[in-house]
Amino acid sequence: MAGMAVSAAATTAAATYRRRPGLMAWLVLFPLIAWLVIFVIVPTIMLVVLSFGQQTGMGSITFTFTLEHYARAFSWTWLNVLWTSVKYALITTVICLVVGYPVAFFIGRAPASMRNILLTLVMIPFWTSFLIRTYSWITILSKEGLINGFLVSAQIIPEPITLLYTPFASVLGLVYNYLPFMILPIYTSVERLDNAMIEAAYDLGAGPVRAFSQVILPLTAPGLTAGALLVFVPSIAMFAITNLMGGGIPPTIGDVIYKQFTSGRAQPFGAALGTLLLLIFVVCLWVTRRQRED
Amino acid sequence: MKTNVRHLMMASLAIFAIAGCGKPPQPNVAKETAGQPTTSAPASDEEKKLNVFCWSEYIPQDVLDQFTKETGIKVSVENYASNEEMLAKLLAGGGTYDVIQPSEYVIEGLIKENLLIPIDQAAIPNLKNIAPEFLNMSFDPGNKYTVPYMAGTVGIVVNTDLVKDDIKSFNDVFQDKYKKNIVVLDDAREIVTWALLTQKLPINDITDENLEKVKPILSQWIPLIKVFDSDSPKTALLNGDVAIGVVWGGEGALLLNADKKFKWVIPAEGTHLFVDSLAIPKTAKHPKNAEAFMNFILRPEISQKISDAFPYLNPNIAARELLTAEQRANPASFPSPDEVAKMQTFKDIGGQATKVDELVTSLKAQ
Repeated sequence: MAGMAVSAAATTAAATYRRRPGLMAWLVLFPLIAWLVIFVIVPTIMLVVLSFGQQTGMGSITFTFTLEHYARAFSWTWLNVLWTSVKYALITTVICLVVGYPVAFFIGRAPASMRNILLTLVMIPFWTSFLIRTYSWITILSKEGLINGFLVSAQIIPEPITLLYTPFASVLGLVYNYLPFMILPIYTSVERLDNAMIEAAYDLGAGPVRAFSQVILPLTAPGLTAGALLVFVPSIAMFAITNLMGGGIPPTIGDVIYKQFTSGRAQPFGAALGTLLLLIFVVCLWVTRRQRED
Repeated sequence: MKTNVRHLMMASLAIFAIAGCGKPPQPNVAKETAGQPTTSAPASDEEKKLNVFCWSEYIPQDVLDQFTKETGIKVSVENYASNEEMLAKLLAGGGTYDVIQPSEYVIEGLIKENLLIPIDQAAIPNLKNIAPEFLNMSFDPGNKYTVPYMAGTVGIVVNTDLVKDDIKSFNDVFQDKYKKNIVVLDDAREIVTWALLTQKLPINDITDENLEKVKPILSQWIPLIKVFDSDSPKTALLNGDVAIGVVWGGEGALLLNADKKFKWVIPAEGTHLFVDSLAIPKTAKHPKNAEAFMNFILRPEISQKISDAFPYLNPNIAARELLTAEQRANPASFPSPDEVAKMQTFKDIGGQATKVDELVTSLKAQ
C-alpha cells in the first residue's frame, strides 16, 4: 500500500518536471552518451553482426548471414553449460540476499556517525584488485593453506580437507566478490525507510514479523531487486573466479564464450552465445522493471 | 527518483567490476635509456621503433631494455595468451606489429596464406647458434621466414610424497585411484592429443572418426581431473591440492627447482614438442629493426638470460653452454635426444579445432 503511494507520488512529480532538454542539457549529457555509444552500443552491434558471420580455418571472419551458430547453441551441451551458470548465479544471489540484507539493515539503522564507517568497511575490498583478492583465497583455501594449517595444527581434523577447486569454493568466491553489490542498494532503501511507517505498524497492532513482512520488506523491495540483479547478472558470465577457485569444472558460459574467441576458433559461435546471454539479461531487467511498476 | 540514480551508479560500478575480469593485453613501452647507442646498430634508415607482439611471460623485460640500450630502438610490447588470439588480431589488421611469436602449426598457416615477410639470413648471423634439429623444420623449410625462440614439451609431474607408484605414461596418470588428484592444461587440443597418443593414432589426424575413437577414453579421463589450468598449473601442485599434473615443460622445470619431491616424466606414449619462433608479419613497418632484434635474441648471453627466467627447451646451443650444470640437467627443460625423437609437432587443424573444443567441453560439463 505504502509502496504504491510513494511510487505514484514519484510518477506525478516526474510528469510535472518532464520537458524537452535544452542545448545545455545535451552538452552535459554528451560525455555519457558518447561513452554509451562507443562502449556499449557499438560493441553490441558488432557482437550481433559477428554472430551471423563465418570464420575460416585460419581465423579470419567473413560476414554472411547464417543462423547456424544459433542452431548450434541450442544443443544439449551448451544449454547444460548455461544452466550450470544460471544455477551458480542463483545460489550466489540467494546467499548474498540472506547475508546481505541483515548487514544492510544494520548499517542503515545505525547512528549516522557510524554509517559512513560501516559503509567504508563494505567498500574497502574494492581498493584491491579483484584478481589479487581471488588469488589470496587460493592461499587461504588450499591444502597447505591457512584454514587447513590451523585446523590440522589445532588437531581439529587429522588430515587437510579439500576446500579449493570445488563448487563450494566457486560459490564462496562469487559471494565474496558480489556481496557489496547486494548490500549497497538495500542500504539505500533502508536508509530512506520512514520510521513513522514502522511505528504506525506497531501502533496498529502488528508484531515484529508482520511489521517486517508487510511494511519494511515492501518498502525496501526496490533495493532488494536492484541488489539481486546486480549480483545475478555478472555472476552468470563470470569465469575468472570459477576457473581460479573452482578449477574450471564445471565450465561456465563465460568460460565457454572466452574459449570460442581463442582456442576454439569459433568467434561467430561465441558471439551467438554472447547475444543469447544478452537476451537473458534483457529479460531479467524487464521482469524486475515490471515488478517495480506493479 | 534519486534512488534510481543511485542504483544506476551501482550498476555502472558493477560493469567496471565485470570489465575487470578479462585479461587485457598490456602494452608496455620499454624506456629509452639515456646512454649512447653502442654496438650493432643496424645500418638502415628505418625510424628507431619496434613493435613486438609476443606471449605473456616469455620475453624478460631486461632483455628488451638491453636491446634498446644497444641500438637506440624503442621497443613497444603487446602480449597475447594464445596463438589464436594473436592470429585474430593480426588478421583483423588492428595493430602493426614488426615481430610476432607464433608456434609451429600457426607458422605453417601464416606461410601458406602469404602473411609473413621472408627474412634476410645475412642479417641474422647468430642463426648459426641454433641446434641443427631446430633448423629447417617441416613448418618452415630452410628457415626462410622464422628463427626459433624457445621450444618445449608437455610432460607429467608427480609429487612423490603423495604418489608412490612409478608413473610412466598417460595411462598411468588417468587411473581411478587418482580421481580428483590431477591437474591438466586447460587446452582441448592437448588433452585430445594425449588420448590419441595412447591409441597410437597420429596426433595431427583430427578426423571425426578419430575423435569418435578417443571419446570413450576422454569420458573416462575427464571426470578424474580436479583442475584445468593452462596459465599456472604449478600452483595446484605446489599447494598440495593435487598430486599429479600434466603440464608445460617450463612449469615442470620450475617445480623441480622448487622442491625435490617433484619428479618429471616424459610419457611413454610420446608427447607434443612445441617450437615457438620469431617471424615478421607482412604488415610490419620496421622489418630491418625486426631482423636486428632476431639476431640480438639469438646471441648466446641474451638467450641465456631468457632461459634463466623461463626455463624452456632452449634451441640455442651456444646459450646452453653458458647455463649452469644444474640448469642443463633439469629433465623438464632439456629432455634427452631419445625422448625428443619420440615427440611430435602440431600441424594446423583449421576448423576441426571447433570440434575438439566441443568434445572436451561437453565431457567437462557432465
